[in-house]
Amino acid sequence: MPKKISWLTGGVLMALLILFAFSIWGADRPIGASTYVPYFASVIFGLDPEHYEYAAEVEKAGAWEGVMLIGAFVGGLFMSVFVTKTFRFSVLPTLWKERKNSSVASRLFWSFAAGFVMIVGARLAGGCTSGHFLSGASQIAVSGLIFGGVVMITLIVTGRLFYKKRG
Amino acid sequence: MIDRIVHMFEIVANEGHGSVAMVLFIGFVFGAIVQWSRVDKFEKIAGFAMLEDMTVPKMLFFAIGLASIGLYFMIELGWAHYHIKPITLGGLIIGGTLFGIAMAIFGKCPGTGPISVAEGRIDVLIGAIGGIFGGLFFTWAYPWLKPIMGPNFGKLTLPSLFEGYESMVVLIYGIALMAVAFLIPNIEYLDPEDREEPAEI
Repeated sequence: MPKKISWLTGGVLMALLILFAFSIWGADRPIGASTYVPYFASVIFGLDPEHYEYAAEVEKAGAWEGVMLIGAFVGGLFMSVFVTKTFRFSVLPTLWKERKNSSVASRLFWSFAAGFVMIVGARLAGGCTSGHFLSGASQIAVSGLIFGGVVMITLIVTGRLFYKKRG
Repeated sequence: MIDRIVHMFEIVANEGHGSVAMVLFIGFVFGAIVQWSRVDKFEKIAGFAMLEDMTVPKMLFFAIGLASIGLYFMIELGWAHYHIKPITLGGLIIGGTLFGIAMAIFGKCPGTGPISVAEGRIDVLIGAIGGIFGGLFFTWAYPWLKPIMGPNFGKLTLPSLFEGYESMVVLIYGIALMAVAFLIPNIEYLDPEDREEPAEI
């Protein structure tokens, strides 16, 4: 089995998975991956959906995505151990060391802060890379196209401002 | 907490959007494709923000282009249904801005994060804990955040604006996205710590 697949093979496989998930033989719903986070938060901290409007709103979608993401975790673990053989414990990404710094504390601080902001952003927008990009833009939904445009621009601008120039 | 986790599986089993096994299977394949193409890596996502690696936009554009054509005809045949998210303009712009900034710094998104944790990335685990607190904050602050998410312009697709030419619009959109995927320069950052090599297939 090849250790890695190209963007083209990956793109074809991902399109087939989106279509399967959408189909009546699959789940008859789109793939999404950010609603499970507030859902898990309400499970872990024991927030009662009867008292928290948002916990009640996301309960069904959150549970579906929660189960899907358990599958994704196992899929990632399986591939990283047996196929791509890339499993290893690490804290600092190579490119972070090249373009930012070699401080573990800095990377962990920024990871925590960015993780926090990312979920607040995704929930404000009502979706993330999976729900708005993969599923939304595949339906040519105007909401997905707006989200996609805004994210692409801020992503590139942040990449330019936050990291050091090469060389 | 255990009863809430059991309840999670019960919700899925009773919801009619695939059995628990089906949803786990979809997740497994999703995780496998993402890990196999390595797009869960910091170097691929933050690398796109730094223009060091173009794998993510190439794969994303191609997958969306191909899926949009397939999905349109599947819906026409009754094999699938639309699930359109509403245009909540304030939420999309403010949320999208926060999301883009966070994605460039974290080098992950909510879907690729767990897959990245599964390959042993401790920094991503810390970011996921940050995400849980973000979810907690949002759930708590929702009544105050709701007003800035509007105005809601409803659920709209681009082809529905061109009545009578829907399938033409879908074909143009899908083919254009796939063409863009090929036109984006094939730049790849090969991570020496992963002994990463160009893909064979």
